[in-house]
Amino acid sequence: MDALLIPFLDATIRTATPLAYAALGEVVTERSGVINIGLEGIIIAGCLGGLIAAGAGGPTVGFLGGALAGLLMAALFALFVLRLKADAIITGTALTLLGLGLTGTVYRGVFGLEGAALGTPSIAPIALPGLSSLPLVGPVFFTQTVMTYLLYLLVPLLAWWLARTHTGLALRAIGESRTAAHAAGIAVDRIRWGAILFGGVMGGLCGATLVLGQVGTFTEGMSAGRGFIAIAIVVLGRWRVVGTALAALLFGGAFALQYLLQAVGWALPYQLFLALPYLLTLVMLAALRGRAEAPAELASHEG
Amino acid sequence: MSSRLTSWYVFGFINIAILSLVACSGEKRPNADASAFRVALLTPGPISDQAWNATAYQGLERMRDSLGASISHIQTKTPAEFEENFRQYGAKGFDLVIGHGFEFQDAARRVGPQFPQTLFATTGGEGAGPNVVALSFAFDEPSYLAGMAAAAMTRTGVIGVIGGTELPPVKLGFEAFLAGARLVRPDIRLLTAYIGNWDDASAGKEQTLAQLSQKADVIYQNADAAGLGVFQAVRQAKGAWVIGSNADQNGLAPEVTLGSVLVDVPHAFLLLARQRQANTVQGPTLRFATASEVVRWVPNPTAPPLPEQVRAKMDSVRAEFAAGARPVLTPR
Repeated sequence: MDALLIPFLDATIRTATPLAYAALGEVVTERSGVINIGLEGIIIAGCLGGLIAAGAGGPTVGFLGGALAGLLMAALFALFVLRLKADAIITGTALTLLGLGLTGTVYRGVFGLEGAALGTPSIAPIALPGLSSLPLVGPVFFTQTVMTYLLYLLVPLLAWWLARTHTGLALRAIGESRTAAHAAGIAVDRIRWGAILFGGVMGGLCGATLVLGQVGTFTEGMSAGRGFIAIAIVVLGRWRVVGTALAALLFGGAFALQYLLQAVGWALPYQLFLALPYLLTLVMLAALRGRAEAPAELASHEG
Repeated sequence: MSSRLTSWYVFGFINIAILSLVACSGEKRPNADASAFRVALLTPGPISDQAWNATAYQGLERMRDSLGASISHIQTKTPAEFEENFRQYGAKGFDLVIGHGFEFQDAARRVGPQFPQTLFATTGGEGAGPNVVALSFAFDEPSYLAGMAAAAMTRTGVIGVIGGTELPPVKLGFEAFLAGARLVRPDIRLLTAYIGNWDDASAGKEQTLAQLSQKADVIYQNADAAGLGVFQAVRQAKGAWVIGSNADQNGLAPEVTLGSVLVDVPHAFLLLARQRQANTVQGPTLRFATASEVVRWVPNPTAPPLPEQVRAKMDSVRAEFAAGARPVLTPR
C-alpha cells in the first residue's frame, strides 16, 4: 500500500505547493474587490524571472527574481486597473497574453534555440530532522522543499493578518463596499495597490517554484493553465485563506491521483484521468453551494 | 474617456505589441526578391523545445542556408489558426508551406485547392492532391529498435512511455516500442501515460515520477517541451534510463539516456524543397523509412553497451526494415 500511498501523497504536496502560492495571492487581491485573471501571465513571468535570476546568482536570487517578475506584471495590471480605470477582466486577459508571449520572446533572446540546460540551479527537498522520520506524514509533509515549509508558516500568518489586523479589516471592507470604506477614511487605492502587488509576488513565487523547486528548466507555456486553476481554487476555498490552502491541496491531490492512475495502467481512456481535477471542481462547487461569500465588489468589475 | 473605452485601447495596444513581438518570428527577408524561393513553416509548439519543433526550425534554416530560400516561421495552436495562416501564406504566393505535424492535415486539405501555386506539406499524415502532400515518417521502425534496447536494459521488466497527446504517430511509435521490447523479453510490462499537452514540463516530471514509483526503469518520451520534465525526473532518479525522440536528444542528459528515436526532419525538408524547386514532387505522400536513413535509432555513445546478442538481433531487424522485408506490427 505504501508503494502507492506515499508517492501519491508526496506528489500531492509537491503539486499543491505552487498552486497554493498563486491562489493565496489571488485571495488577497480578490478580497480587496479586484479580480486579477492575468495570474497565468504573472506565473509564467515568475518562471522565466526565476530561471534567469537563478542562472545569475543561484536559487535564492532566483526566487527573488521570480517574485520581482511577478511584482512587475502585477504593477502593470494595477496601473491600468487602478490608475487608468481600465476594465479588470480585459486587462487581466491582456496580461495573460502578454506574459505568455513576452516570456517566449525573452527566453529565446537570452538562451537562443538551444534553450536552458537541465542543470539550472535548483533546490532539493530537505528532510526535517525528527519530523521526517514519522510514519507516513514524515516522508509526505516533512520531506519537501523549503517553499513548502514556508507555506506552512504563511497560511496561519496570512489568515491571522486578514482576520485580526487593522489593514486586513480595511482590505476586507474595501472588498465589500469601496464607497463605504472610502467614507470611513480608508485609503482604498493604496490598499488595492498593495493587494494586487502581493498577488503578483505570490504568483511570481508560484512560477519560480515550478522552475527552481521542480522542473529545473524552463519551457514556453509551462504555466499550462495554473493561473486559471488558482482562480478556481480561490472560489472553491470561499475566498478564505485556510479554505484556499485546503482547496489547493485537493487540486494537488486530484492531479497526483491522475498521474498515479495512469502509471498503474488502468485500461481507461487517458482523457478521463486528465479530466479528473476539473470534474472534481464541478462536484465540489456544486456540493459547497450556498450563501454567496464572494467579496461584493467583485461583482462590479469597474475597478 | 469612459473606462470601457480605455480598456479597449489598452487591450488593442497590448495585443498589437504582442503580435509584433511574439508568436511569429516573422519573415526573415521580407520581399527581398520577388523571384526568391519562399518557404514558410507552421509549428504547433515553441521552437525552443529541443525536440519536434526545434528540428523543424533547423530544417527551415537549412533551406535558407542551402537553397537561399527566404523563410518565415509562425507558431500556431488551434486548428483555426492553422487554416488562417495557411491561407495567409497561400495568398502571399509562398512556394512551399509546411505544417509541422499530423494535426495540420485537415487545414492543408481545405486550403490547398484555393492556392494551386503553393505547395502545402504536412509532416505526418497522408497527402491529398497535387499541391497537398505529406511527409510520412516510419517512426515505428526506430521505435521498435528502441523497444529492443529498453528490454535489454530493464532490470525490473517494467518500461514506460509518456506522450504529449495521443496523436496517431505518437501512439504508433509506442505500440512499436512495446512490440520491439516483447521480441527481446516477452514478459515485459508497459506503462502508458499522456500529459494532455506538450508544454507542461512539471506534469511531465510528475508523470515520470509516478511511473518510476511503479518500478519502470526505462522510459521512452515523446512529449516535446514537456518531455524535458521526463529527462529531469530520470536524471534525478537512481538507476533509470530515458529514451528521447524526434531530435537527437542524447546530449540533454547523457548520463541517463539510452538513445534517441531520430527523425531527420531537416534532411526531409531539404529533399522536399529541392523537389518543389524542380517541380518533381513525388506526392501525394513522400515516405521516409529506415532505408532512407531519415528515421533511425541513434544509440547514446556514452551509454553502457547492450548485450552482444541483442545488438546482433537489432542489426538484423534494422537490415530487414531497410530492405522493406519486415512489417513492424502485424496487421490487424
